[in-house]
Amino acid sequence: MQPFELSLTEAARAVRAGELSPVELTDSVLDRIGAVEERLQAYVTVGAAAARDSAARAEREIAAGRSRGPLHGIPMALKDLIDAEGMPTTASSRVRADHVANGDSAVAARLSAAGAVLLGKTHTHEFAYGLTTPQTNNAWDQGRVAGGSSGGSAVAVAAGEATFALGTDTGGSIRVPAALNGVVGLKPTYGLISRYGVTSLSWSLDHVGPLTRTVEDAALVLDSLVGHDPRDPASLSLAPRGESRGGPSAELWGELSHRDGDLRGLRIGVPRNYYFDRISPEVETAVRQAVERLQGLGAEVVEVEIPLARYIQAIQWGLMVPEATAYHERTLRTVPELYSPDVRLLLEAGELVLAGDYLRAQRARTMMRDAWTAMLGQVDVIAAPAVPTTAVKAGQDTVEWADGTVEAVSDSYVRLAAPANITGVPALTLPVGHDHAGMPIGMQLMGRPLHEATVLRVGHAYELAGADAGRLAPVGA
Amino acid sequence: MDTGELTPQEAARWALRAGLPLSDDRHEAVAATAQHIQSVIATLRELDFGDTAPAAVFVAGHGHADAAVAGQEHVDAAV
Repeated sequence: MQPFELSLTEAARAVRAGELSPVELTDSVLDRIGAVEERLQAYVTVGAAAARDSAARAEREIAAGRSRGPLHGIPMALKDLIDAEGMPTTASSRVRADHVANGDSAVAARLSAAGAVLLGKTHTHEFAYGLTTPQTNNAWDQGRVAGGSSGGSAVAVAAGEATFALGTDTGGSIRVPAALNGVVGLKPTYGLISRYGVTSLSWSLDHVGPLTRTVEDAALVLDSLVGHDPRDPASLSLAPRGESRGGPSAELWGELSHRDGDLRGLRIGVPRNYYFDRISPEVETAVRQAVERLQGLGAEVVEVEIPLARYIQAIQWGLMVPEATAYHERTLRTVPELYSPDVRLLLEAGELVLAGDYLRAQRARTMMRDAWTAMLGQVDVIAAPAVPTTAVKAGQDTVEWADGTVEAVSDSYVRLAAPANITGVPALTLPVGHDHAGMPIGMQLMGRPLHEATVLRVGHAYELAGADAGRLAPVGA
Repeated sequence: MDTGELTPQEAARWALRAGLPLSDDRHEAVAATAQHIQSVIATLRELDFGDTAPAAVFVAGHGHADAAVAGQEHVDAAV
């Protein structure tokens, strides 16, 4: 096994045991980038020299007995909406052609403090306003979409071009590409991770989170990112809830590492409406089989009714569309021609949303949050598909469902992700199989706010009961 | 709720009132997209909100969230 194939957890253990140096690991991942990047186009920028310097520094510190923890010396990538000092944050847009970040985002600073090695910046659908990331190709089939908007991060992790990556999620932008590329993606509780220094799509829906090969890896990255930040107006001053002790997530890694996958005492809700409507039969079969596996581990499975399902898309759009337009107000007036056609059109049309409609969306959000709180009082976790269908072919605009309805690909990919953005609950996606074409299928696990540990525990138990967690996409070098 | 068809001319006029002049070749596409967005969002007009307040975030004194209020102990409200 090459170092680039190691999961974060495996690499961290090898580094800690002195069996692998950060320089060897970083060189291996950079070589992998050199071998497959031309086909995948995951990165906007690769900073190989800086990454090698950072890895060498980590190696010296670790050799001197100054380990900073499990991320020390681990190579990773940031979605190119996330500021890293001295590097451009292009948002994959010509609008940002001359941008240079004059400081680290909160998450870049936290990863730097943890000793992680920044490889570079990954592609996003322009300004995160889309679900396909057309610049980037799916890691499993280069003729299919990467998903978005954190498409570059998902593909880089899936293909071994980064040991982990960060993305952002406003309507599924971590979970959608993670599911379509067969990796793990975690959208944490709204406000748990600071968004300071991260380009916004929609302030009231934006989240930052990890994309990793395994659930255990996601727990490790989450652990390094959590913390109150007064520079983000939505930042919580609350710690995520530990599984049993109410303690901080600092103990999460060890807790997950030593669990035997026993889920007795946990109640898992399976939606009887919404999440299994208009989805591909192969996705439904894979997710229901995954739920059976969780049941086999001792979880009690109960049906739940998703409240206010009819209004999910209206709330998502009513919040996101005017907020995105507001963020881009200045540049939409000065350099509209620099936006790609699809993003420009959405931003322009967003000018016509009425304040009354925005307020209705905000009031409906209150109703939906309260209804979800009641629903999550009955179960610990909700298990559902992450996306209705696997990665579509590049250029495909619509999906036709068995009931004869036709849906835009982007609407389809947002549909099952949006509730967790609106309600702010933690949502994890993990791979649970493949369709007939070999494309990955993702299962989504959602929990109560700040109960990341429960969601991660269930996901990790699923992985332990299988044999292929952390498998790389079969991209030949 | 049917809110009526948005014409390209109306879209241009609304955008201008919002401070965004649109060139002639943008009117039709913007009108169609705005109409579609409106048709989705208008579903919310079915709801009876009663006294429900918007979910928008505002915290008075933000930036000093860790400061104890005078005369009170700071409470770590971990949940």
